[in-house]
This record gives sequence, C-alpha cells and structure tokens, in this order.
Amino acid sequence: MTDDLLKAATRALHDETSAEAGDGRFTRARVMASLHQGKVKRRTRLAFILPIAACLAAGTAWGAATGRLPAVFRAMGQLVGYSSKPSEPKTEAKSAATTPKVARASDAPVPPSPRDERDEPDEHLAVATPEPLKLQPTPSAKPSAAPSSSASFQDADGDLYRLAHEAHFSSHDYARALAGWDAYLQAAPRGRLATEARYNRAICLLRLGRDAEARQALEPFASGKMGYRQTEARDLLDELSR
Amino acid sequence: MNIGGLLFSPTAPLEDSSQDEQGLVARLASADPAAVGEVYDQHHRAVRAFASRLVGDAAAAEDLVHEVFVALPRAMRGYRFESSLRTFLISIAVNHARHHVRSATRRRAAMSRLALEPEGNSADPEQLQRRKELASLLTRALDSLPLEQRVTFVLCEVEERTSREVAEITGVPEGTVRTRLHHAKKKLREELSQEGVP
Repeated sequence: MTDDLLKAATRALHDETSAEAGDGRFTRARVMASLHQGKVKRRTRLAFILPIAACLAAGTAWGAATGRLPAVFRAMGQLVGYSSKPSEPKTEAKSAATTPKVARASDAPVPPSPRDERDEPDEHLAVATPEPLKLQPTPSAKPSAAPSSSASFQDADGDLYRLAHEAHFSSHDYARALAGWDAYLQAAPRGRLATEARYNRAICLLRLGRDAEARQALEPFASGKMGYRQTEARDLLDELSR
Repeated sequence: MNIGGLLFSPTAPLEDSSQDEQGLVARLASADPAAVGEVYDQHHRAVRAFASRLVGDAAAAEDLVHEVFVALPRAMRGYRFESSLRTFLISIAVNHARHHVRSATRRRAAMSRLALEPEGNSADPEQLQRRKELASLLTRALDSLPLEQRVTFVLCEVEERTSREVAEITGVPEGTVRTRLHHAKKKLREELSQEGVP
C-alpha cells in the first residue's frame, strides 16, 4: 500500500515539475545580468589591485637596486613579530647607536655571491695539498683591523660577513679575515651564515699556522656534527696530523 | 556530499559530446556570456525540472537555476568531457542545492504551521488536484531526508536516471547510490504512512 503510494507520489512529482517549467526568460535575464555584474566587479578589482601590485614591484626593485631590501625585510619581520635571530636586534641596535653612519647603503660591499661560495672548496682543497700550507702571520695581522667599520652599515651582520669574506677570499689577509669571522660570529652566533663563518674561521686559523686551534675548530665539521664540508674538514685534519 | 569528486569522476562518458557541444564548451571556458546564454537555452528546462523536484519550491528552484548558470563559466575549468554538458549542469545544481533545499524546507515548514500552504487551482480537474497533493506530500516527506539521500532519490526515482549516471553526478560509487536510495525509500515510506494518506 505504502509502496504504491510512494510510486504514485513520485510519478505525481515528476509530472507536476515537468509541466510547470516555463520558458525561463526571467531567470535567463537574471543570469546574464549577474554575469555582467561579475565582469564589472572583476574589472574594478583589477583596477585597484594592478596599481598596488605595480607599486610593490617597483618598491622591491628599488630596494634591491639600492641594497636596502634585506634591511626592509628584517624590519618587516620584526614588525610582524617574526625574527629568526632573537638575540641579534640588541647587538645591531647597540652598534648602530654607538657609531656614526658613514657609508651609504649603495656604497656597501657586494654580498657574497653563490659563485664566491662555490669557490671556497677549491681553495680549501689547495690548502689540503702538500704545497705551502701554512702562512706565517703578517705584521699587519691585528684582530681589530677588519670589523672596526662594520657597524657603520645598516645591515650590520651582513656587512660583517661581507668584510670578512672580502678579506679572506679577495685580499687573502687571513689575520684580518679571522678577526672578521670572529666579529660576525660574535654579532650573529646563530646567524644564517654562522656555519660557513665557523668553517672559514677554521681555515684562517690553519692559514695562520695556529694548528691546535684549527684542529679544534675543524673537528665538529669532520665529525659531521655541523652537516657542512665534512669531507674537506677530514682531509684537512688528516693533513694536520701527518 | 562529495563535491570534489563529483565533477571529475573517472567513469566512462555516458553520452558522446557532439561537435557543437565541444565548441560551446570551449567558448564557455573563455567565459563568453553568449555561450552561457546558448547553454541556458538548450538545457534550462532539464536543470529547472531537476531543481524543482529537488527543492520542491518553484521560487527556490529558479534561484538554483540562476546560480547554476552564473557558476558555469568558472565551473567549466573542471569540465573534462567525461560527461555530457547536461549531466555536468545537474552536478553543479547538486553542489549548489544545499542552501536552497534548506531554505525551501524552512519555508514549507513555516507555511504548514500557519496553514498557508498554497492551494491548487480550483479550476483543475479532480485528477490534477490529486496529483498536486501527492507531489506536495512527497516534497514534504523529502524534507525529512538528508541531502545526499534526497538527491539520490530525486535523480533515481523522479528523474529516472540510472544508478551509474547518478554515481557520476554525485561522485560516489554505484553501491553507495543504491544504499542511499534504499534508505531514502524506507524513510519516505515511513513518512507517508505517518501522514495517513489513503
């Protein structure tokens, strides 16, 4: 009985709804109007978004050209409460407050490029060869030479790193480079490039003939604890132990 | 309701898309309003009939039809020629139905409480009146079903589609369609017997 009723009701619903469909002109007009409105809304949105995007792009390009981009990113990171180096802002603030700003951002040394970084292993391998391995400390090698002007830059850590890098790989002034790496590591002990700086510091010690300290500095790398240049560090330690 | 799998079911196409339809689909994908108009002219009756059967309310059905065709250009990004355009439109209607079914159900419940159920045309012959009453009775019974079961019942029983086609539209396996239909019928029988209709 209920089955029959269900079937009859189903048939009735089918027939009722088949019969009632009109020509739908009103809904068609509504659809077309909605599509048009949607198009207008999209255009309006674009008219707002495109200039904003253009300003952002131009601002980023300007920042990159003048070298202020990292500082801006850092400031933005601090503004939104995110900082990967919690202990650094104090150091930066302190150094910025105690020394006058001399150099403009555009005068800042070029940051180490990936090419420079790639060049390092070649030199390290050269160090590991039996050729003149150890350099005597030069009279000008005073630890305080390199970092003295680093605080004059806005991006203190980055500039410290660049100065040390320049002394190490361009000037080959290992005493100055050692002082530079120490200064960088003091300013940013957990900085983005701290591992590289520690390794380069070890190389400087090696170059300066401070074998015991070099061995000590290289051991964490050779053991794989640092996850960086393990093979090279092992080779260097082998050379030192001969 | 599985919406994600609804439109991209890997099942084989039930109907081969015609050449014209393919051209139309390409124009729809580029958001050509004239193409939407053409699709509307070709398929609005089928979509409206389904919407009416599903929501049980002419005004809500019109709203649903409107929504389906407005959403069509964007939805075309997901169209893979695995089903006919009409089936695809029905699947869009299913995806947008929840809100309309809910509001139509609320409206019916309110009108029923206030005894404002619209009367049929008194000029209709007795048979037509009886048909109207039965359709109205089933629509009220459908209000008691979960949306998935409601959609399945309307597609399988009222629209008389195959379980395979319903599976394609709703994006669930055929077994699930049959299970839902079984539960829907069981519940509807209970509802109709409670109404005490002779």
